[in-house]
Amino acid sequence: MASSTAPSSQPVSGDQPGDRLSAVPELAVRSQGLDKIFPNGFQALRKVDLAVGKGEVVVIMGPSGSGKSTLIRTFNGLETIQGGHLEVLGYHLDADNNQKVVGKIRRHVGMVFQSFNLFPHLSILENVTLAPVWVQKRDRQTVKKDALALLDHVGIREQAYKYPSQLSGGQQQRVAIARALALSPQLMLFDEPTSALDPEKVKEVLETIRALAAEGMTMVVVTHEVGFAREVADRVVFMDEGMIVEEASPQTFFTDPKEERSQLFLSRIL
Amino acid sequence: MADTPRPGPPPAQLLRRLRRGLFSSHLDTLITVVLAVVCGSGLWSLLHWALLQADWAVVQDNIRLYFNGNFPVSQIWRSWSWLGLLGVLCILTLMPSRLLPPAMVRLLPLFWVLILPIGLLLLAAGLGFEPVKSRFWGGLQLSLLLTLGTILMALPLGVLLALARRSSLPLLRWLTTGYIELMRGMPLIAVLFFGQLMIPLFLPEGWTFSRVLRAVLSLGFFMAAYMAEDVRGGLQSIPRTQLEAARSLGLSPLLTVALVELPQALRTALPALANQCVASLQNTSLLAYLGLIELLGISRSILANPDYLGRHLEVYLWLALVYWAVCILMTSLARRVERSLKVSDHH
Amino acid sequence: MAVFTTHHPLINEPDSLSPEDTLVSKRPAWRRKLLPILLQAGIGLLVLGAIALLLSNLQINLLRRGLELSFDWLGRPARFPLSRGLLPYQTEDSYAWAFAVGFANSLQVVVVGLILATMLGVIGGAASFSSNWLLRKLATLYVAVARNVPPLLHLLFWYVAVFLGFPAARGSVDALASWLRLPISVEFMALLIGLTVYTGAYIAEVVRGGINSVPRGQWEAARSLGFGEGRTLRLIILPQALRAILPGLNSQYINLAKNSTLAIAVGYSDIFSIANTTFNQTGRAIEAFVLLLGGFLAVNLLISGVMNLLNRLVLQRG
Repeated sequence: MASSTAPSSQPVSGDQPGDRLSAVPELAVRSQGLDKIFPNGFQALRKVDLAVGKGEVVVIMGPSGSGKSTLIRTFNGLETIQGGHLEVLGYHLDADNNQKVVGKIRRHVGMVFQSFNLFPHLSILENVTLAPVWVQKRDRQTVKKDALALLDHVGIREQAYKYPSQLSGGQQQRVAIARALALSPQLMLFDEPTSALDPEKVKEVLETIRALAAEGMTMVVVTHEVGFAREVADRVVFMDEGMIVEEASPQTFFTDPKEERSQLFLSRIL
Repeated sequence: MADTPRPGPPPAQLLRRLRRGLFSSHLDTLITVVLAVVCGSGLWSLLHWALLQADWAVVQDNIRLYFNGNFPVSQIWRSWSWLGLLGVLCILTLMPSRLLPPAMVRLLPLFWVLILPIGLLLLAAGLGFEPVKSRFWGGLQLSLLLTLGTILMALPLGVLLALARRSSLPLLRWLTTGYIELMRGMPLIAVLFFGQLMIPLFLPEGWTFSRVLRAVLSLGFFMAAYMAEDVRGGLQSIPRTQLEAARSLGLSPLLTVALVELPQALRTALPALANQCVASLQNTSLLAYLGLIELLGISRSILANPDYLGRHLEVYLWLALVYWAVCILMTSLARRVERSLKVSDHH
Repeated sequence: MAVFTTHHPLINEPDSLSPEDTLVSKRPAWRRKLLPILLQAGIGLLVLGAIALLLSNLQINLLRRGLELSFDWLGRPARFPLSRGLLPYQTEDSYAWAFAVGFANSLQVVVVGLILATMLGVIGGAASFSSNWLLRKLATLYVAVARNVPPLLHLLFWYVAVFLGFPAARGSVDALASWLRLPISVEFMALLIGLTVYTGAYIAEVVRGGINSVPRGQWEAARSLGFGEGRTLRLIILPQALRAILPGLNSQYINLAKNSTLAIAVGYSDIFSIANTTFNQTGRAIEAFVLLLGGFLAVNLLISGVMNLLNRLVLQRG
């Protein structure tokens, strides 16, 4: 197991008393009655309650527009919330969306996007080292060494000095994973990480995520990959119309879904 | 239009291409013949005039004035050495970067910023030289000094204006929008007129700026508005998702602007900004009508000399050639920078 | 810089504030709104302070010169001669009338100039797509030379070197004037041709970019329907390219209007040269400048208005 990818156990710097509710949180994420209403009035999340334990891998599934992406985007403050409470890695957020707390959460939460979102003007290595150098203010040389180790880990060390546009989609997504891991996050969020990939590139990215899960990383993954969910997830959460419809182990969910809407969804994708 | 020529013996192939390029139809033939006659006779009379009728003494005798203006002759090496330094810097920038030591390549932008203070030191005073007042500066040297000063002032100011125009503070947004639109709505000569004749009216008693400084300030404030719009265009072309990625990595808004948005925006805006730089050079010629003896100004004073009565055409053609050459040089410098940046993102 | 505070007012965070925020939480939202207000108040005070300081300096300086701000002098006779133009003018006419004459002269050269520059630009831009090698190269040469020579030099070349240098050129302008029965002066022609040639090169680039933006498939489709080159361009390509051309054309038109103030170099009495002469005679710098700005605001609004109308027509059709 590569030490660089393991969740950091060092104390979090820059904390003020009261930011964290408990010293050693049991849960990585806990949302209670979460509401998200977009400025145009569309309510994307309705009273969502969800808990993600440390070390757990949760896969969120659901039809498009069901709010699954919005939900995980609230976990690192990319979407503000309009009601309810959210606790991420012990940091408390509610409808005032305190930007200081959001900033602290983001230092410990990694996010991987559907469209990779690498920075096109920076080399692969610079993409990975950017945040450790500027956000964590770590020494450049050590960061570079760690970044190369990470790139090695995801299998693209040879491309370190190339630029994003010179890489295939699968390679870019693996760089995006390495970039998120470089901050030693305690929680990883994946927003449809394989949806923008050519079919033959999906496997290499899923392999990388699977390896990460095997190392004990806490993860919330939005995906349509049933095989992946069946194999890797500890729990499957099914959402529709901004609500959680069903939560179950993958075995139960895929073989014996309780809710009618889940059955309908599965009948369409399986 | 684009089908490849059929293989054949070279002369036949050439003939075929000639025919397709010039005489593919009756209309085409007519156009070709008319154009060829007009161009040919024009070129002939130009050559005839340039070689037989024109008197190029007005150019040859005054080379020093065109390049260095009225710079004191005893100190003229200072003026030439600055122009020489500028030339060396251009050559270094245009050279393929693999022929240069990497440290040099990295320092080139710094040199470009430093060339202006070096020029001021060399031309004005400092370093123990005899001081030369700015009213003795002139010719191409002054045009280039004004251009460099304008660009070095307008670019950072333009970036700040572009950022302020997107600010979340309405007041800041309105003020910068108002400033940019006002400047872009005004003719340059009015701005320069304001700068030369009216700035003194707004200053407390006893404060004075030299003509050259007033010119750079007016040109800089004017160009900044145009550059701001180009940078804003670049900022707008960056996808939202880039900002989300930067924020997810915990980059503060300030760092996001500095490390993610601006580098990409400036790259996108580079061709437009390069055009503004060329425009900056052309703009300096207006100062000939506001008491500065830059390239056009000095030419006007040469033409006023009775020895060169009626030699306008020679002087204007020579000036056109010089301006054209400097503009082309600036454009190729910009292309070079663009190419060296392109390596990083050819989509 | 003071504006770079923890709230980062220079950076848009469009998803951070919505009406619902304030309903749910009280104090933090209130505090979050206070800071920008204070910051803006600071900026406002700073700008107002700077303006007040400059204006008080102006007041002092003008008083010392005995020139209090007023527009009374506009009624007095101008007493400077103007080259003949569309509107009648005599030296005993008022300054106000002189400004009106200057404005009319500016409008005249701008309107005729932008029509001619558009024609030249469209021909130049379309010619760079011609199959005729000579035509293509000439178009490229024209753009490369005309753009890289300052507009002022264009004007001087036509005025001093051509019209004053060759009596035949002068004579043909006079012939044109008597044929059209219009007061066309050599100064007007020099300014018009200089502006047309310079702006035409920029318009050619705009047109070329617009034509380039039409997918290649359109050329091929038209060709396969049996259209010739000229017809393809006129009936298929240009109408589609118009959408991309119009915004660029708008800014070139405004540039032409602004460059028309270079009339001062050829002695054509446009609004700027009237303002300049007025300033020289009366020392009324601020007032002359305000009138000049007003004139330009009017010209710019006129051009933008017409172009917006055109734009809407094109978008409606597309």
